[in-house]
Amino acid sequence: MQPEVEREVVRMSKSGDPRSYEPLVRAYEGPGLRLAVGMLGSVDEARDALQDAFIKAWESLHRFDLTRPFGPWFFQILRNQCRDVIRSRNSRDRREVRDEQIEVRPAGASTDPARLHERNEASLILWKALEALADDHREILVLKELQGFRYSEIADILEIPEGTVASRLYHARDALREELVATNAAYP
Amino acid sequence: MSHESLMRYLDGEAAPEERARIDAAVAESTELQRDLAIFRAMKSDLQAMTFGLANDHSVWGAVHRRITRPLGWILLSVGFLTWVVYGSYLYLVSAIDGWEKLATSAIGLGILLLLGTVIYERRKEWLTDPYRNVYR
Repeated sequence: MQPEVEREVVRMSKSGDPRSYEPLVRAYEGPGLRLAVGMLGSVDEARDALQDAFIKAWESLHRFDLTRPFGPWFFQILRNQCRDVIRSRNSRDRREVRDEQIEVRPAGASTDPARLHERNEASLILWKALEALADDHREILVLKELQGFRYSEIADILEIPEGTVASRLYHARDALREELVATNAAYP
Repeated sequence: MSHESLMRYLDGEAAPEERARIDAAVAESTELQRDLAIFRAMKSDLQAMTFGLANDHSVWGAVHRRITRPLGWILLSVGFLTWVVYGSYLYLVSAIDGWEKLATSAIGLGILLLLGTVIYERRKEWLTDPYRNVYR
């Protein structure tokens, strides 16, 4: 969505018209679901968190600064929602469920079955290592790699300085590497 | 070289001067080359990862229901209360016998009490329902 169009849609939504909120929901639900799945590891929980985040954003629109883009503000709400879910759930039981629910696969499927199988295996190993990371580390890797945000956007969403983004990314990547080594996985 | 600089270099966020400085450092260090190769492989695989999420299942319907429902209830309640108050006033000032007014008022109050009790119980049940926000 063009920034000018988005600003107009947000302005109309701020005036209380629920219908004008639809384009925003449809524009951000795809990347939002990907972010939530990355953080929560469960499609069902991610959908619930996404719904709740959209409701909270709607209820807080009167506080939204129209000079800023909607995306980082919404993803900040969604990230907080996901953190609440993580805090409130029984991690052991949920982890078992998540393993059954997520279908992880590499993009751009190869036509060579052996190569495809190898990439699928690597993706699965990487996903399991990502899931084993601390919440802070998984969160920043999801924002950077799965969502493709720039440092300035991540800093906005997490409300931390850009220098901290770089530092946390290093520790997250290092932890991921350690996790892969610890699982003795044949990666890549 | 700091970890932060290495990350900015890896993610394409380093300024040209910083980038040139790191290029030179990487060319001289096999340890840095190895670290960068591992980080690049993980980065590339994470970016390529998909979850097989179906896009035919928008959350808009559920979101719309939840943001319009309170408005609907408020309008319904205000309209209903207005008519009840106005109707009661007209009824009380009308020229109907006192005992008829009393009996009719008792019936009206009884219905309102029963309705209020049902609404209260349903609300109490809804507030404690762990599945109330689950998308169906």
